[in-house]
Amino acid sequence: MDVTLINAIIKGAAYLGAGIGMIAGLGPGIGQGYAAGKAVEAVGRQPEARGDITTTMLLGQAVSESTGIYSLVIAIVLIFVV
Amino acid sequence: MNPGPKVITYFLGNKYMPITDTLIAAWLSVILLIVFSCLLTRKLSIIPDRLQNAVELLLTSIENLIEPMLPGMGREILPFIGTIFLFVGVGNLIGLVPGLSNSTGDINTTVGLALVVFITSQYHGIKVNGIKNYLKGFIEPVFIMLPMNIIGELAKPISHSFRLFGNIIGGGIIITLIYQFAPWIIPVPLHLWFDLFVGVIQALIFGMISISYISVARSE
Repeated sequence: MDVTLINAIIKGAAYLGAGIGMIAGLGPGIGQGYAAGKAVEAVGRQPEARGDITTTMLLGQAVSESTGIYSLVIAIVLIFVV
Repeated sequence: MNPGPKVITYFLGNKYMPITDTLIAAWLSVILLIVFSCLLTRKLSIIPDRLQNAVELLLTSIENLIEPMLPGMGREILPFIGTIFLFVGVGNLIGLVPGLSNSTGDINTTVGLALVVFITSQYHGIKVNGIKNYLKGFIEPVFIMLPMNIIGELAKPISHSFRLFGNIIGGGIIITLIYQFAPWIIPVPLHLWFDLFVGVIQALIFGMISISYISVARSE
């Protein structure tokens, strides 16, 4: 086993790990869609509060996106640094 | 192809202090804000003209964001939160100019801002509750919870900074990839989404999360 083969295995494993790590993009998709559904329901119940409800929905969606962003940062580090 | 800050030169030739393009964009946004506010406050009048009206509207809306969470303290905290919001907002929007990169696309900028907010929230917690209650707050409810509370406190600036950094860098990577495939018409709506919409929304989120951290530290 020479050095180039070992380096190739390490790089390949890092790329594979980056791809598998992005399965965590499933979580924010479900969570943000759920929040948007509740917001649509609330607007249907009281249409004149639409501005406030939209602001609160965007705020909640951006906070619930955090864990997806964590996995993106790990994948970027695996692709470009390892 | 490496996303992230590119080193342009070194500070006084010292190899351990690189000056990157994100640092130059941060300086540029600071200079822009200072020049704009100096030009604006030269002729303040009771009956405002259009530009002064727009800036007053912006500052009043930021104060209305602060009021529900920190009642009665809106005027004191407004310079701090307003500076954070304007710096992050201008730093995100300055990436639209060709040749400049987003100043918040660098982990140093976002961690620096998150540490400033962290230290401010701890200071407010100690000032309101007294140092004995502040230290006792780590031991509640059971003594075993001490490492969990400490980790919970330390996780706040980490998540605060990584949210902003990850959103801006993710947009930058996708736009760089699209430039290599179809550089002519298709990047325009992508720039509209990633730079304008996501940049302004993330600046708003950063400001509101820092307000809520300060209000949580004051209340317990």
